[in-house]
Amino acid sequence: MAYPYVSEHEVRILSKYFGDPKQRHLDTYVERGGYSALKKGFDSGSAEVIETVKASGLRGRGGAGFPTGLKWSFMPKDTGKPHYLLCNADESEPGTFKDRELMRWDPHQLIEGCLIGAFAIQAQHVYIYCRGEFFETNQVLARAVEDAYAKGYIGKDILGSGNDIDVTVHQGAGAYICGEETGLMNSLEGRRGQPRVKPPFPAAVGAFGMPSTINNVETLSIIPHIIQNGGAWYRQYGTEKSPGTKLFCVSGHVNKPGNYELPLGFPLMKLIDEVCGGVRDGNALKAVIPGGSSVPIITAEEAGRCNLDYEGCVEVGTMLGCASVIVMDEHADIVKQVRRMVDFYAHESCGQCTPCREGSSWTAQILRRIEDGRGTEGDLDTLMEMTQQMVGTTICVLSDSVAAPVQSSIEKFRDEYLALIRRGERVGAA
Amino acid sequence: MSDIPFKNPGWAGNTGEFDLTEEQVRGDDFVGVRPKHGGHASGAGTLPYMHADKHPDAKLFEGEYGERFDKILTRYPTKQAALLPALGLAQEIRGHVSPEAMDRVAELLDLSPAYVRGVATFYTMYNKRPVGRHLVQVCTNISCNLAGADEVVAAFLRYTDTEIGETSEDGNFTVIEAECLAACGFPTCVQINSRYFENVTPTEVPKICEHLKAQGE
Ligand SMILES: Cc1cc2nc3c(=O)[nH]c(=O)nc-3n(C[C@H](O)[C@H](O)[C@H](O)COP(=O)(O)O)c2cc1C
Ligand code: SF4
Ligand code: FES
Repeated sequence: MAYPYVSEHEVRILSKYFGDPKQRHLDTYVERGGYSALKKGFDSGSAEVIETVKASGLRGRGGAGFPTGLKWSFMPKDTGKPHYLLCNADESEPGTFKDRELMRWDPHQLIEGCLIGAFAIQAQHVYIYCRGEFFETNQVLARAVEDAYAKGYIGKDILGSGNDIDVTVHQGAGAYICGEETGLMNSLEGRRGQPRVKPPFPAAVGAFGMPSTINNVETLSIIPHIIQNGGAWYRQYGTEKSPGTKLFCVSGHVNKPGNYELPLGFPLMKLIDEVCGGVRDGNALKAVIPGGSSVPIITAEEAGRCNLDYEGCVEVGTMLGCASVIVMDEHADIVKQVRRMVDFYAHESCGQCTPCREGSSWTAQILRRIEDGRGTEGDLDTLMEMTQQMVGTTICVLSDSVAAPVQSSIEKFRDEYLALIRRGERVGAA
Repeated sequence: MSDIPFKNPGWAGNTGEFDLTEEQVRGDDFVGVRPKHGGHASGAGTLPYMHADKHPDAKLFEGEYGERFDKILTRYPTKQAALLPALGLAQEIRGHVSPEAMDRVAELLDLSPAYVRGVATFYTMYNKRPVGRHLVQVCTNISCNLAGADEVVAAFLRYTDTEIGETSEDGNFTVIEAECLAACGFPTCVQINSRYFENVTPTEVPKICEHLKAQGE
C-alpha cells in the first residue's frame, strides 16, 4: 500500500518512506544510508553536534518551538551523574497525528535521532515515552529497538566508538497531561502524571532527579538528516526564523486530509486549496485552527493572510503549535466544537491548580447550557472573565489552552453564540 | 536509586504482546488501511481476556507473564517506575485492574496499596471494572466530531443495545467515547482493544461488530 496522501508541493525528508513497510527493517534502513549520521556525529564530538543543530535553527516540534540546539546546550557537562534523554511520543493534542506516523513507518530514523541526541547531551539512557493507546506502534518500535541492539547500534560500545547508550520504549497509560514535560517525567517514575513546578528545570533536576532533556518525536527524527547534511542545508527550507520542513496534520472538512511535509512559511490557504484538494464538497470555509486544539481559532479572512510558520501564525493572532490544521466549513457548529474541546481539557486537567480544575469544568457546563438553548448574553461575559483568570495562573499551560478556543471563538463567532442564546437555534449541523 | 541491575534495560518487552507475528509487525497489514475483512488478530478478545475466566485463582504474574514482569523491572533505575507497565500487564491478563490486582502489584513493587490506587485511578487506560471482550472506544474529539463521530457512537450503541459504558448482555461489547486517538486524518477513529479502526462510518459498524463477535468465540 502506498501512503495515501502525497502532493507535489511537499519536500519529503522526514516522510520520505511513509508507506514503505520495508523501511522498518534495519537492513533496508542501513542500505538507504541509515545510521551513517550516528557515526558522523560520534566522530565529530558532542560539542560539534550541538553546534550543527544550533546552526540549523531547528525549533522543537512539540508545540512551543523552542530552539533545540539551545535546549541541548543547557545540559550540564561531565557531572558524573546519569543523564537522560526523553523522547516525547505521547502525542495526544487533538488534531495531531504525525508522531504515530513517524514511529510506525520509520522507527529507525527516530532511534538514530535519539542516539545522536543522547550523545550530544551525554545521556546514557533514552526513554521513548510512547502513548499507551499505540499498541501497534509500540510493537513496531520495540522490534526496531531490539534489532538495533542485536546489530550493535544500541547498547555497549556502539559502533566501536566507546559510547554506551540504552534505549527503552515506555508505554503510557492514557493521560494527555503526560505530554507535558514534567508530567511525563512523573509518569515515567511511576507516579501520577502531574506537572511539576519549575524551576528547577529538567536540565538540572529531571527524570529520576537527574539532568534530563525532553524532545518531541518529530524534533528527534530530523536530527540524523541535519547531522548528515549540515545546518546550512536545513536552512534552505522554510523561513529565516522558522527554518526547515514540518509535518502538517490536516484534518476536518477538507477533501484530502493527511500528513503533508512542507517547508515552514507555506501559505495556509494554499495548503487547504492546493495540497488538500479544497474544502469538502466545495463549501465555503468558516474557520481554521492552525495548531491543534490549544491555539486560538481564526476566521476564513484571517486564514487568507496566514503563513504557516511560528511568526506568521502569531501575526494573525494564533500559534503554530504542532501544526495540526483543523479545517471547518460553513456547516461546522462552532459552539459545539468549542464545547467538545473544553470537555476534553476538563477531563484531562490533572487537578493540581484550582483555576484549571474548576475553571475548565465550569466553562464546559456554561457552554453546554448555551448549546442547549438555555444560555444568556451574560454567560458570554462570564466565560470571557473566567477564562481570563485561567491564563498564566497555573503550574502548566493546559489551563491557558482552555482559554484560547473559548475567547477566540466568542470574539470571532459571537453571532453563533447569540443565535443559540436568542432563539435556541443552531447555526451548523455538525 | 534501587539495587535493580541494568541488565539489557533497553529490551522493550512489548514484543510478543497481543500475539503479533513478524509478518504483521513488519508487513503493511495493519498499518494505514483497515484490512478488508474489518479486523485483526490483535483487536480480538484473545488470551488475556479469557484467561481470567478460566483461572480465577491464578497468581498475578506467572509463567510467561512472570518473565515479562522481571524484564520490566530491569528497564528502570527505580522499582517504582515499573508500576505503570506492571499495571498494564495485570490488565492484559485480567481484562481490567481490580483493587485486588492493584494490591498485589503494590506488594510486588514494595509500594503502599493506597499509593498504587492513587496512581491507577489517574490513568484512563486502566479499566477499574470489568469490560466486555471488546472494548470499543470511539473518538469523539474535534476532528472526528467534524466527520460525524456522534453517529458512529450511536451506531455502536444501537448494534450492541447498550448505553455508554455498559457491557452488552452477551459480554461481548462495552462502548465508550474516547479522547483524540491521534488518527485525526482518518476519521472516525475507533480503538477496539489494542487495535485502531480508521475511517469508520456508521454503516460499517454492524459488519465490524459481527466480525469481532465471530473472533471472540
Ligand atoms: C498540556 C501539555 C501537553 C503536551 N503534550 C505534548 C505531546 O503530546 N507531545 C509533545 O511532543 N509535546 C507535548 N507538550 C510539549 C512538551 O511539554 C514539550 O514542550 C515538548 O515535548 C518539548 O519538545 P520539543 O522541544 O522537541 O518541542 C505538551 C505540553 C503541555 C503543556
Ligand atoms: S494547569 Fe491544570 S493540568 Fe496543568 S498542572 Fe495545573 S491543574 Fe494540572
Ligand atoms: S480527533 Fe479523533 S483521532 Fe484525533
